[in-house]
Amino acid sequence: MNGREGATDDVAVVRRMAAGSEAALETLYDRYASAIFAAVYRLTSDRGTAEEVVQETFLALWNRAETFDPAAGSLAAWLHAIARNRTIDRLRAAGRRPSLVALSSAAAPDEDATQALERLVSDGSIVGGARPVAGPEQAFESAGVQEAIGTALASMPEDERTVILLAYQEELSQSEIAARLGWPLGTVKTRTRRALHRLRKGLGAEFGPGAELDVVPVPIGEDR
Amino acid sequence: MDHEGTREQLELAAVEPGGLERLMAGDTPNAQAVAAHLAGCVSCTDELVRLQRAATLIRGSVRQLPPADLKERTLATIRAEGVRRPLAVAVPAAAGAGATVTTEPVNGVPVMASPSTAATVDPDRRTRRTPPWLGWAGTIAAAVVLSVVTTTAVVNNRVDNQLAAQNAEILALESVTTDTMGVAAEPDAEHVALRSVSGPAVTGELVYSPSSTDLVVTATGLTEPPAGQEYRCWIEAGGKREPVGKMFFSTHLAYWTGPVAALAGLQDGARFGVSLVSVSGGSVQKDAVLVGEL
Repeated sequence: MNGREGATDDVAVVRRMAAGSEAALETLYDRYASAIFAAVYRLTSDRGTAEEVVQETFLALWNRAETFDPAAGSLAAWLHAIARNRTIDRLRAAGRRPSLVALSSAAAPDEDATQALERLVSDGSIVGGARPVAGPEQAFESAGVQEAIGTALASMPEDERTVILLAYQEELSQSEIAARLGWPLGTVKTRTRRALHRLRKGLGAEFGPGAELDVVPVPIGEDR
Repeated sequence: MDHEGTREQLELAAVEPGGLERLMAGDTPNAQAVAAHLAGCVSCTDELVRLQRAATLIRGSVRQLPPADLKERTLATIRAEGVRRPLAVAVPAAAGAGATVTTEPVNGVPVMASPSTAATVDPDRRTRRTPPWLGWAGTIAAAVVLSVVTTTAVVNNRVDNQLAAQNAEILALESVTTDTMGVAAEPDAEHVALRSVSGPAVTGELVYSPSSTDLVVTATGLTEPPAGQEYRCWIEAGGKREPVGKMFFSTHLAYWTGPVAALAGLQDGARFGVSLVSVSGGSVQKDAVLVGEL
C-alpha cells in the first residue's frame, strides 16, 4: 500500500471507528502504535511514559474521531501531534527539560566524541535540545535496523523472543529471567544466545558484510 | 579459556545490562580469563568489536518496540474510559447497505442564535489574555446541558438511532469543552473574538496555544452549509492562506478543535478565518464569514 492509498484508507477506517467499530480501532493501532511509541521513547527515554502516551493518544483518537479532518493533514501527522503534546505535558509536569551537555563532559576517559555519542544514544539519553537532521544514509540505516530487528523478532521462536525482550526491554539479567520464567539458567543462556544469533543474522542480511555485524558461527546445542 | 568459551561469555554479557563493560573490567576470575584470551586472540577481539556494535543497534531498536500486551491494555482503557459510540446495530436503516456511517454532527438541523449572541458585534472586538473563556466555556457547558435535556426527551420518544445521534452530539460538545479548558489552561493561551463578516447573528471565539499548537474555535449563529459546501477554517500569514479544518455542527454550536502546526511560528499580521467553500474544490480563497487577528 503506498502513502496515498494508506491515507485514503485511513479516512474510511476512521469513519468505521467513529461508527463504533473496535476492529477499525485495532487496525489503526496496528498501523501507528509502534511508530508513536518509538517517537515518544526517543523524546523521553522512558518506556513507561511511551506506553501511557500511546494509550492516551488512541483514547483521544477514539473520543475525537469526528474532528479528524483529512484535508488538514494525514492521520499519522494528527496522531503524532497528539502524542507529542501529551509527551511535552508530561515532561513539563515532571519538571524535565531536554538537557544540553557537551559531549566531552559525557565521554569516558578513553572515548572520543563519536563513541560517547553512540553510547549515550544507545542508552536512550537525551543529549541535546534539538534533534540533528539525519542524512539520507543515516535515516535509511535507522529505519532499516528497526525493520530488520522487527522482522527477526517476529520470526524467532516465542521462547527466544521472550528472553531477548526481557533482557533488552526490562533490563533483566539472565538469572532474573530464569527466576521470572522458572526456567533453568542454562536454558535461558542457550535461548539468549540463539536469539542474539538470529538478530545479528537479520542485521547482517539487511546491511551485508560491510556492516561488520556478521556473527561468527559457534555451535549451539539443544537446551541445557 | 578457549574460543568457544570466550565467545559464549561475550554474547551473554552483550545481552545483560552493562554486561560487556563489567566483563571488560576484568574484576572477576571469569572476566580475567576472558581478558587473557582476548589479549592473544585477534579473531575473538574482532568478534568483540562486531558484537559491541550489533548489541548497541539491537538494544536501541528493541527498546523502541512497544510491549506486546500494550495493544490489549490500550483497548481495555478505551473500553473503560472512552466515549460510548453508537453501535453498528443502531445505524439508521436509511443509511443504506454499504453506506459509510459516521457520527458527524446531525445534518439538517438549523442552528439557532441564542439571545446573548444575537447582539451586534463590535467589528474591533478582540481580547487577549483576559478571562472571556470562562463565559465562553459556560456557553459551551450550557449547550451541553441543553443537549442533555434534549436527549432526555428523545430517550422517551425516539428510536435508538436518534438516541445514538444525540449521544454523539453530546459527546462532541463535551470534547469541545474539555479541549477548550485544556488549551485555556496553557500559560501562553491566546483568546480571540472573531468578528462576523456576514452579519451580527454570527459570533465566534478562538483560543489557541502557540506552545502546544492546540486550537479550539467555536461559533454560534452559523447555519449548516448547503450540500456540497462546508465551512473551512484557515490561517493566513504573509498573504497565503492554509486550510486548517472544517467546522462541525451541533444543534447550538459550530466548532473545530485540533492541533495546528502553524501556530508555533506565527508571523505578525497573521489572521484566522472561516469561509464557506466547496467540498470538492478545497480552496479557502473565499470571503470570510468569521475572521480575527492572531
